[in-house]
Amino acid sequence: MWKFLIRRVLQIVLTLYLFATIVFFIVYLQPGDISQVYINNPKLPPEAREALKRQLGLDQPPHIQYLNFMRNLVTGNLGISFSEYPRPVWDIIKERLPRTVALFLIATLIYYALGFHLGKLIAWRRKGLLDYSATIVGVVLFTVYTPWFAYLIIWIFGYKLGWFPLGKFLDPVLWRRYDVPANEVFGLMLTVGGAAILFLLAVYVLGRKLHLPPLPRALMNFGALGLAGGSVAYLLWGPEFQPYGLLARDILWHMVLPVTTVTLIAFGGAMLLMRDSMLEVIKEDYVLAAKAKGLPDKVVRDKHAARNALLPMITSFVLALAFVVDGGIITETVFSWKGMGLTLLDAVTNEDLPLAVGTFVFTGIFALIAHLIADIAYAYLDPRIRYE
Amino acid sequence: MALLEVKDVTVHFRTKRGEVQALDRVSFALERGEALGLVGESGCGKTTLALTIMRLLAENARILGGHIWFKGTDLLALPEEAMRHVRWKGISMVFQAAMNALNPVYRVGDQIVEAILTHEPKVTVREARERVAELFRLVGLDPKRMDHYPHEFSGGMRQRAVIAMALACHPDVILADEPTTALDVIIQDRILHRLDEIRKQLNMSIIYISHDIAVIAEVADTVGVMYAGKLVEIGPTEAIFRRPHHPYTEGLMGAFPSVRGPKRELATIPGEPPNLLNPPSGCRFHPRCPYATARCKAEEPPLVPFEVGHLAACWHPRNA
Amino acid sequence: MAVPAPPLKKPPKGRHLEAPWRARLRLLRRGLAGSWGMFWESRIGPLGLFIIAFYGLLALAHPILMATVWADERDVYDPKHGYDPQIIYGGFDGRLQSTVAPGSDDYYVDANGDGRPDYIYAGWDGVLQSKAVGDDKYRGGPAPPSLRHWLGTDPWGRDVFSQLAFSARAEFFLGVMAALITVVIGTLVAAISAYYGGFVDTFFMRLADVVLLFPVIAFLIVLGSMFQLNLYSLAVVLGVINGFGGITIVLKSQALSIKVRPFVEAAKVAGGSHMHIIVRHIIPNLLPLSFLYMMFNVTSAIFSEAVLSFFGILNIDMSWGIMVQMANIAGYLQGGAITKAWWIFFPASISITLLCAAFYFVGRGLDEIVNPRLRKV
Ligand SMILES: Nc1ncnc2c1ncn2[C@@H]1O[C@H](COP(=O)(O)OP(=O)(O)OP(=O)(O)O)[C@@H](O)[C@H]1O
Ligand SMILES: [Mg+2]
Repeated sequence: MWKFLIRRVLQIVLTLYLFATIVFFIVYLQPGDISQVYINNPKLPPEAREALKRQLGLDQPPHIQYLNFMRNLVTGNLGISFSEYPRPVWDIIKERLPRTVALFLIATLIYYALGFHLGKLIAWRRKGLLDYSATIVGVVLFTVYTPWFAYLIIWIFGYKLGWFPLGKFLDPVLWRRYDVPANEVFGLMLTVGGAAILFLLAVYVLGRKLHLPPLPRALMNFGALGLAGGSVAYLLWGPEFQPYGLLARDILWHMVLPVTTVTLIAFGGAMLLMRDSMLEVIKEDYVLAAKAKGLPDKVVRDKHAARNALLPMITSFVLALAFVVDGGIITETVFSWKGMGLTLLDAVTNEDLPLAVGTFVFTGIFALIAHLIADIAYAYLDPRIRYE
Repeated sequence: MALLEVKDVTVHFRTKRGEVQALDRVSFALERGEALGLVGESGCGKTTLALTIMRLLAENARILGGHIWFKGTDLLALPEEAMRHVRWKGISMVFQAAMNALNPVYRVGDQIVEAILTHEPKVTVREARERVAELFRLVGLDPKRMDHYPHEFSGGMRQRAVIAMALACHPDVILADEPTTALDVIIQDRILHRLDEIRKQLNMSIIYISHDIAVIAEVADTVGVMYAGKLVEIGPTEAIFRRPHHPYTEGLMGAFPSVRGPKRELATIPGEPPNLLNPPSGCRFHPRCPYATARCKAEEPPLVPFEVGHLAACWHPRNA
Repeated sequence: MAVPAPPLKKPPKGRHLEAPWRARLRLLRRGLAGSWGMFWESRIGPLGLFIIAFYGLLALAHPILMATVWADERDVYDPKHGYDPQIIYGGFDGRLQSTVAPGSDDYYVDANGDGRPDYIYAGWDGVLQSKAVGDDKYRGGPAPPSLRHWLGTDPWGRDVFSQLAFSARAEFFLGVMAALITVVIGTLVAAISAYYGGFVDTFFMRLADVVLLFPVIAFLIVLGSMFQLNLYSLAVVLGVINGFGGITIVLKSQALSIKVRPFVEAAKVAGGSHMHIIVRHIIPNLLPLSFLYMMFNVTSAIFSEAVLSFFGILNIDMSWGIMVQMANIAGYLQGGAITKAWWIFFPASISITLLCAAFYFVGRGLDEIVNPRLRKV
């Protein structure tokens, strides 16, 4: 397993390097010299022009420019934004990245769980009405024109039913009353959420390692779930933690629709994939053998078939990554969710080159890290790799 | 009463090109402690027969008639939940592609423990693991291996593990579908003898399925010969080898070198096995049979006894 | 000690004098007939084909309609510059507000009805010009479907059906062109990396990894800010990016299995050059799978265009994505306004979805033939 992981990490580093190089070539080494266009942009404050010139080292030969670019990337020195002058790009990314990560992470967890379970069910009962309708819904969600779909969701849940706010990251009226930076609250939320997930994961793994019989293990898992849920609820509503709890609830409230949208967009593909993967696995001899052993139908389906069908699902997670990231950009735009996607789009509209490049590079790094996590999950789930 | 009695079982598969008539009124009986060998060319319906007994046929299969009596109950009429308890506890199976019968993501031992715990809920995990260790020793595997994954096993070891798994719940009947085909001759021999010893030791019944007559001759008390979805001859091993009645059996005997005797020229049966989508009329063997007459083409011969316990379905039996 | 194999069938007599090209043609015809049967049985494939045919006809219909039915009123039905003066529109339920400043011809629109202006219309080329102070009738604006305008008109008084049909051609062009480029690159790269292996292989596979993780939309947003991307350049860019992406990984594994087939060995022994083997033996055997992936790439190209148009990144005057974008700019997608003039964005949105789904369906249908892995028992 370590050999596999080290190899993967090295590959990812190599990929990252290739990625950065491609970005460099596209941005700085164009025949028309894009950087000149930006340097002469009248919107640019004069100080920024100097800073940019220094940063790009435009008077240097290309290979020095390249080395500079790489050094700046590694040290996180991404320059100064024009549109939010004089904020450093890194500072802006630090603020926006967690929002995108949270949106992406929550949506991914939900759409994976949903796609996995529904795909499993429809493959097991294939050719039924459920299979047929779920396949159609899956294809529609998979190909639906995302912007229109997002607006439709806003209209139904935000406008018609009025259940959720119409967009934005938070409610400015509410936040004006308290002098708390949004990012602080958001950071706390991420910490608490991350801790809760790690705790649950640890309990689950412990339960497996202990070889406990099913009932105590289920009790232990549910106990942990209750504990984590209770603590989070206490943090949100407990009087000691106000106004943080209140503000966190406001952010969560604003998150529901964007998360739903990303989830729905990505869910169709995941479900169809799980269905195909499951249909393949069902033909395997070990599934027939599991049935022959007299195991209950559910055990054959979940423990034997679905567990193996999950493996290609994780591989394809990597293939779906770019799709989900793109879907996230659209969603952020429509919902005015100021994450990486919207920042990128705004940077481009405002002709803010350093911010656009920085955001784009970090979107790529983010995708690569997700890739690495998928690899680790795969290695964990497939003993053929774990025990290489 | 026989332990397992298969009576007039007919199975068809629905396919895009039509109905595959995979089994046609197959009947035989198996006593406790008996070893029955089923032989026949590839595609004659041996696996289909085993899967019908386990009620594990593919979705496109239809059982058109017949009964399978096991300890007095008709398996074909049993509700699914009751059938589930017959599986492995009553009848277990060694799959044709035994190598692939182990789930790659679980430890081999755990997969056997799982079968034990499903059928004997009172057994603790520790006791089950002890039993697995015992089974491993029985089939000649190191018990330390039980916490390894299937991919860490060699082909022969996996085969043994699958046999150990089939023995796990002390079933009354084991259906061994080509338990050793994929292995080299020496290991094949060793595993077969092991299985035979275990059978005698535990007084179980086994149905060996093979297209290798030499293997069957070594381990079976009774031999059934299948041809194109029909059981064409069944009788004591000695009788089948010495005085086969059905011309197809006779051809098969000619087609295989005797295990003990001197090497003979391999003789093949001319012609090809029939297409089960549209099997020949009358006796299904008649297009390839050197003794066929007009009657063979028109009428189907019934499976009738020629001696005690030795039945054949032929209008012109040999050595009768 | 297994059953001896049944004797091989004798080759059919009397055909051995047939010319090779004839034999090839016969095999091809038989192969196609069999494949068509499987494709038809997939159900999903023919459905996709049907939708594609529908939009194909729509694309063909546009120039024909322009030359016949709409010939006398070309300036009314022109998809880009058309304007129907006959349409009188009463404003957004009277919520079109007064001008921004006295004497200015910019207008507020309160789209979501909260009493505050949401959008400002600044001199929309004569659409709202004929409004007099105190007059509550405006010329132009979105008119509902009618006999004269089958799918109504957009906020600028242009015929939506004409736009839809006109854009269909562009979508086909873009989708097929991008996918063709992708497949040509993908097939070449796959054949070369499978054949040579080593460094070439490592390089292209790592590159494919990068491209796979490339958020294409994000990248094109950046690119679109630097270059004027029109339909042609977008097709090329999309085609090239995808050509170095996941398709090479899939095709390479196929090419690897072809490389070890006997006829390739035979060609090597016979002294075939590298180029000869790649071009004559490996690539032809990759083509079925390439063709399959081409379908999926058409879907992704059309989808990318629609999204980029929606962001206003592209330099295209008319496409389904632009139609939705314009509806959005005019405020018809936001909040409650979404029910006001469904015809200006719904036909375009649904067409994007349908055409994307159609190529995906055809791909799935082909999958049943080309990819034996997915073939059902
Ligand atoms: N699910 C199925 N659908 C259609 N036809 C099937 C199916 N399963 C088996 N058959 C057909 O039924 C016939 C009997 O198959 P079976 O697998 O029982 O043969 P077998 O005697 O076990 O052969 P082998 O020695 O090769 O294992 C064959 O003609 C086979 O093609
Ligand atoms: Mg078989």
